[in-house]
Amino acid sequence: MAKTTKLTLSEWDTLHNNGPFPLKILYKTKLESPAVMPSDLDRYNDAAQEIQKLLTEAKNKNEGFRAYGSAWSMSSIAHQKDRMHFNAHMNTYFSFRDQDLHHLSSYSAENLFLFECGNVVKEISEKLAGHGKSLKASGASNGQTVAGCISTGVHGSAINFGSVQDYVVGLNLVIGPNPGDIVYLERHTKPALNDAFVQKLRSRVIRNDGLFNAALVGLGSFGFIHGVVLEAQNLFLLKRYVKELDKDKAIELAEKQDFKAFKGIPEEVKSNGEANIPYHYKVFINQYKDNGKYVAEFMYKKPYKLNYPDPFPVIKKSLYRDLVNLAVQIGSRVPASIPVFINALKSSILPKTDEVSIGTLAETFWDAPYQGPAFAISFGVDHTNAGKALKVLSKVSIDEGPVPGIFAMRFIKKSQATLSFARFPTTCMIEIDGVLWNEKKKLGTLKGLSKKMIAALQQNNIAFTIHWGKNADWKFSGLVDHMYGPDAKTWRKYRCSLLSDDMQDLFSNGFLKEVKLDKKEPSDPQLLQSLL
Amino acid sequence: MKLKKYLFPSVFLVLLILLLFQSCYSVRLASVNGTPNPAAPMVRDDYYRAVEVTELDTVITIGLENKDFTYLIKVTDLCPSGKLHTVEYRNTFGALLLSAVTFGRKRKVKIKYVCMK
Repeated sequence: MAKTTKLTLSEWDTLHNNGPFPLKILYKTKLESPAVMPSDLDRYNDAAQEIQKLLTEAKNKNEGFRAYGSAWSMSSIAHQKDRMHFNAHMNTYFSFRDQDLHHLSSYSAENLFLFECGNVVKEISEKLAGHGKSLKASGASNGQTVAGCISTGVHGSAINFGSVQDYVVGLNLVIGPNPGDIVYLERHTKPALNDAFVQKLRSRVIRNDGLFNAALVGLGSFGFIHGVVLEAQNLFLLKRYVKELDKDKAIELAEKQDFKAFKGIPEEVKSNGEANIPYHYKVFINQYKDNGKYVAEFMYKKPYKLNYPDPFPVIKKSLYRDLVNLAVQIGSRVPASIPVFINALKSSILPKTDEVSIGTLAETFWDAPYQGPAFAISFGVDHTNAGKALKVLSKVSIDEGPVPGIFAMRFIKKSQATLSFARFPTTCMIEIDGVLWNEKKKLGTLKGLSKKMIAALQQNNIAFTIHWGKNADWKFSGLVDHMYGPDAKTWRKYRCSLLSDDMQDLFSNGFLKEVKLDKKEPSDPQLLQSLL
Repeated sequence: MKLKKYLFPSVFLVLLILLLFQSCYSVRLASVNGTPNPAAPMVRDDYYRAVEVTELDTVITIGLENKDFTYLIKVTDLCPSGKLHTVEYRNTFGALLLSAVTFGRKRKVKIKYVCMK
């Protein structure tokens, strides 16, 4: 049997010290040993039973329950004041054969894998590499669990692809403690697994696009995500270039996405004069220095081959936040000094210009060890508004700050998930990342900064979304309705139809209440119909 | 004259103290591949915040018949795989001195290690 350790705690915190938050009980579940239970499928189903047992315990005490993995989110989305479940040790996985696929499936069996919730991006990449496969995209690093990634919408800057949830084709959810409370969801227009395999997961299948899209970015509130079926692709390499561009050119590329006409990287210009379209485009912006230039990072997909140059000498030089930490400690006493420190440290904060490396996706978006308390505020806007929104947000950060962080822009395609913040045809994620400061000192508050940023975007009529896992003034009046309109209600209707009344409460948390997504809607059995 | 008498020993002492400080250092080795065993709850505020780390601070005694010593990493709750992901060892002047005065028989071991998940 899977083994759960139960710890009585008084508080819990995120990796980046965005708490602490109150907590009563922390569960940690480990799978049964393969020596005792050799079948992966048996161990997986055994773990599902264990989760149902824990749900019964929470339900009997009339308390909430929330799973989390790596605690990378900086918002309180992963927190539940009653019971939290650490699932990173639930990390088995399955590959598939043709006979496991639905007869209408357009997927290739060799590209489909089921990963249990606690697999982190790095171990998924390593397991996939053993099959000659790769994830299609990831975040900027690799420590998030797959369930955490899709619940919050983790993204990179794959300009012609989307976020992590966009290669998920099936969800195995534990939605309650009773028999029949394990469901497998997939799209009816793009089925993946057949009923025979779903039965092996002791699940009932619902093929329904609307339900699947609602549950996909489920904010941890659509039940316990036990497994995720994802579509991988053949291993590939990413060739990474760092260039200093004129500000106007960097913003023009962001807003027009006309990379074919961009000749700034001669190696990527084809013989017909057209340039290759990058896989990834990211712009770094130091709002405290206007020298007319931005640092931009481009990555181009290349076929996988062995014996490419070692990427780690370049990759391992990431943010040296220790230095920025020191700047903040000094800067919090004399806020005006923060821009001076950030400018002085820019060579440590920004990637080195004209740097080139090549590696797999997993190598390129590699480890990010803990480097001290951190914050991040991340807005999604239509890419055509990138320049305007950046101007508005950086002005707020200067007027309200100075804030110990710098801006960056990344780009992702629209997601089909109902509550994905990648809502625009191409969403530009404008983010300010930095070091958490002591709010008791002379600098303002993080929430206050976020509030001003939200208000400024609204005043400038720039439609926006906010990354679910990042810092924000989530209590801002009417925020979710402003960002998602009727889709917020659609999401609630699917949630309230899938979960029983008591499970809606059990899988809720303070964050859901803050953003008013806990509001109950009448259950509609039509929404749960399997349409295939 | 008195000043000259004390100058040399003072400078020597300062240099010795500086040398002592320089002899304390840490080196960290980490595997490029593999996932470190995660920590829950996260209670540390250092490099190892996200992972389960084992700290070892002991003195090992090497018998006359032994040429060297191997410390075995075994499966424990903190190390479920029994496989290493990160090792950090710390060298101190005291450790060097201990080894020197015991002709290598006693060796100070001060390490932190993180296992694979």
